[in-house]
Amino acid sequence: MPKGAQTQAVSSLLAYIPFVHPINFFQDWWWVLLLPLSFGIAVIYKAMRVEKLSRYWRQVAVLTVQIVLGMIGLALALMVLVQWVIPLLPVDNGN
Amino acid sequence: MTSSRQQPTELHFGPAILAWLWPGLGHFSLGRPKRGGLIMFGVLFLVVSGVLIGGIDCVDRREDKLWFLAQGLCGPIAFGVDYVNQNLIKPQPEEQRLLTRSLGHVNEMGTLFVALAGLMNLVVILDALVDSPHLREAERSARCPKEHRPKP
Repeated sequence: MPKGAQTQAVSSLLAYIPFVHPINFFQDWWWVLLLPLSFGIAVIYKAMRVEKLSRYWRQVAVLTVQIVLGMIGLALALMVLVQWVIPLLPVDNGN
Repeated sequence: MTSSRQQPTELHFGPAILAWLWPGLGHFSLGRPKRGGLIMFGVLFLVVSGVLIGGIDCVDRREDKLWFLAQGLCGPIAFGVDYVNQNLIKPQPEEQRLLTRSLGHVNEMGTLFVALAGLMNLVVILDALVDSPHLREAERSARCPKEHRPKP
C-alpha cells in the first residue's frame, strides 16, 4: 500500500466515532449482516411463541439457520431465473 | 384445539402502549419478565446494530419517510435517534457531513435493521394486546405442574 493511502486509512480509522460514522467495511461484506439480522428476528419471535423457555436458545438457533437457508435458497432461485431461464425466452424483434 | 383457545380474548391496551414505549415492557406488565427481557434484548440488539452499522443517519424522519413509518414502531428510541440526527448531525458543515453520511449497502442495511426492529416490535405490541391465552396456560402448567395433573 502506498504511504499516502496508508496514512489516510489510519487517520480515517482513528477518526471513527461509533454510532455517528457508518462502518464502511460492510460496503463489500453487507451480506454477512444477514446472520445478526436473522438472529435478532429469531430472538424476538421465539420469545413470544416458544411455550417452554428451557428450549428457547435451541429454537432461536434453529430459526436463525432456517431464515439463512431460506434466503440462500431464494438467492439461488433468482440466480437460476436471471442467468438461465430468462435468456431462454424468445426475443420479440417487433417484426 | 384446546378449550382455552376458544375463550374470547381480552384486549390489554395498557400493556400494548407500554410495549411501544419501551420494547418488552408490555410483557413485563403482563407478568412475563423473562419473555419481556428477551424481547427487549432482541429489539435493542437490532436497533443498536443498525445504528452502529449505518450510523445515526440511517434513521431519518424527513428524508426516509416510508422507512421511518416502520422504524417509528420501535417507540421513543427511534424518535430520539432521529432527533439527534436532525439537530446534531445534519446541521454540521459539509466536510463533517461527508464522514457521517451513510451511503450504499451500509445505509441500506442500517435502515433495514432498525425498520425490522420496528416491524418485529409491532408483532410484540399485538402479542401484548391479545396476550395469547394458550401460552399463558402453558406457562401456568409449567410453573405449578401438580395443579394441572389429572386426579386419580
